[in-house]
Amino acid sequence: MLELQGLTRRYGDTVALDDLSFTVARGQMFGFVGPNGAGKTTAMRIVLGILAPDAGQVRWLGRPLDAKGRARIGYMPEERGLYNKMRVADQLAYFARLHGLDAGSARAAADRWTERLGVAGYRRSRLETLSLGNQQRVQLAAALIHDPELLVLDEPFSGLDPVGADALAEVLAERAAAGVPVLFSSHQLELVERLCQAVAIIVDGRLVAAGPVDELRAARRERLYRVEVAGTDGAWAAGLPGVEVRAERDDGLLVMLGDGVDDQAVLDRARAAGPVRHFGVVRPTLAELFREAVQTG
Amino acid sequence: MSAWVAIRTVARREYVERVRDRTFLISTGVVVFILVVITVLPSLFGAGDRPSWKVALVGQASAPLAGVLPAAGQALGADLGTVSLPDRASAEARLRSEGDGGKVDLAVVDGDQLVALRTPDGDLVAAVAAATRELRLRAALTRAGASPEAVSAALTPPRLTVATLEPAGSDSAETAARFGSFLLYFQLITYGSWVAGGVVEEKASRVVELILAAIRPSQLLAGKIIGIGLLGLTQLMLLAAVGFAAATAFGVVDVPASLLGPIAAVLVWFVLGYAFWASAWAVAGAIVSRQEELQNTSTPLVLVMVAGFVVAVMVGDDPGSLAARIASFVPPVAPLVMPLRMAAGQAAVWEVAASMLVIVAATVALVPLAARIYAGAVLRTGGRVRLRQVLRETRGRTRASAGSPG
Repeated sequence: MLELQGLTRRYGDTVALDDLSFTVARGQMFGFVGPNGAGKTTAMRIVLGILAPDAGQVRWLGRPLDAKGRARIGYMPEERGLYNKMRVADQLAYFARLHGLDAGSARAAADRWTERLGVAGYRRSRLETLSLGNQQRVQLAAALIHDPELLVLDEPFSGLDPVGADALAEVLAERAAAGVPVLFSSHQLELVERLCQAVAIIVDGRLVAAGPVDELRAARRERLYRVEVAGTDGAWAAGLPGVEVRAERDDGLLVMLGDGVDDQAVLDRARAAGPVRHFGVVRPTLAELFREAVQTG
Repeated sequence: MSAWVAIRTVARREYVERVRDRTFLISTGVVVFILVVITVLPSLFGAGDRPSWKVALVGQASAPLAGVLPAAGQALGADLGTVSLPDRASAEARLRSEGDGGKVDLAVVDGDQLVALRTPDGDLVAAVAAATRELRLRAALTRAGASPEAVSAALTPPRLTVATLEPAGSDSAETAARFGSFLLYFQLITYGSWVAGGVVEEKASRVVELILAAIRPSQLLAGKIIGIGLLGLTQLMLLAAVGFAAATAFGVVDVPASLLGPIAAVLVWFVLGYAFWASAWAVAGAIVSRQEELQNTSTPLVLVMVAGFVVAVMVGDDPGSLAARIASFVPPVAPLVMPLRMAAGQAAVWEVAASMLVIVAATVALVPLAARIYAGAVLRTGGRVRLRQVLRETRGRTRASAGSPG
């Protein structure tokens, strides 16, 4: 597993990262979210060894991550970058060789990944002649070319159309299923929620929440319920102590229960008003958790 | 992966991608063509060619000249043929005639009148004068009672031996060295600017971040410099081989082997000069973000090169001068000056060794500094990077450590 331990990094007087720690488990899809400028790219660059931290360390499989271990990482920088004038297969083989593959294996890997990602027809083309979508595929192939043991992807979904995003998600899920930890940052929180087992939320270089998405939801102190009572409006809930009506929707009321309020007592009041079709906890979306984290963090 | 494998991988890409590039192939072809042309052109256009003249002899008094004019022409390094014509009018017709067949360059009428279409070549007139003088001398000696054998013996000079103070072929060696120095100037600027351009290309396209996730900045820099340098050396060797072959095949130089020294010197000084300059060019590339900005940072380097070239041209006339000796110990200029001094035989062995030692030492001192600036600047984007700032920030950090927050 990958551990970030107490990473701190300053640029002059600006603190880009402040004691950042979290852990990505084997085979886990891990979402890394935070507002622009929160320090996600800095953290990823430190994992890759492109930047040095002022304090803290990155550990991989229980040991400090060294150059040898880093060569086993697949990386996609936020600012995409490949050689525009180089041919696709040559380019991928080059990156494979930089990661230590011999010439034959590098060629084979380039063939395999261009095939897998649907750009086999462009192997002999210069990158600049490809459409942006296909360039993205080549970029992904460059990250996967050396069969990495760990994937670190900075905003891999940005700029992809829905089809491209689905294809990427599929490949990442496949790698995760093979035991590869996949750490990626994204602004698309619905997508992170759908794909990831765990997330880390950082604001201004500090971690405000990290862990499995379910646990983050459960850890929320406030309890939001949706209550659907047939044939009545929200009048029954008005005036109940410790109960706040957040919204009246077609599918019922959204009510927030305060500390110490017994949900069964609320259910009794609802049944008294009419037949209850639905009574249950509304699980906050990651987007809601994120907004709260950003506001309070 | 070992550092050497990383460097070799990068160097191979630089070499292969560039050598395949159509622009490179075309420009190399053009340079080779120009080289062949300027090597061969003088002999094609007759410079150094033997002049060839035809002289018409008119009248009884001119006839004996037929026996001595060819030899007189020979003495002046010309082929001189004669033709006897019955009268002056036919000679004038032949002087005016177009076409090589019957055209004559000069007519000698009655032994003492020279007729030509325009002012004749001085050498031709001198040949006729010498031949006339020889005839008169023979006649005078014969009249004085000398035997024909004695006359001939007196008029045939003994075979003269020639001794030169400078070694044989040193003229062509010096010409080759001058040309080599000129070529070095171009190669050093061209391949240096390729290093800078390559660094900016990687920076502007952001591919550098992907590369630095796999290998260290110093390895990327070393591989790039070595790959481009090997390409420059290949091109220079090709030019040397073509130039040498052309000069030999067309007989441009008397002693082809005399070119080998200057050629070897130019190749060695390319390696030394390029090693010295390349890391400076890499810094010029690393501190800007886009190709358009590169001109600002590379101009100082070009200016130093131009100054070096001017010095090389000036001392080329007097390779033994004090200025030349000083210049050969100034690393940026030495590669352009030293081959000239070596070809002129004006550089002692210790001077060559010391000059090489100085430039190697300067390179060894410059490279780590350049590598540090490069590593600190290459991930920064958005405008020009300040050198002093990079140096301050990279102090004490082990890995590439700059970059914008994000």
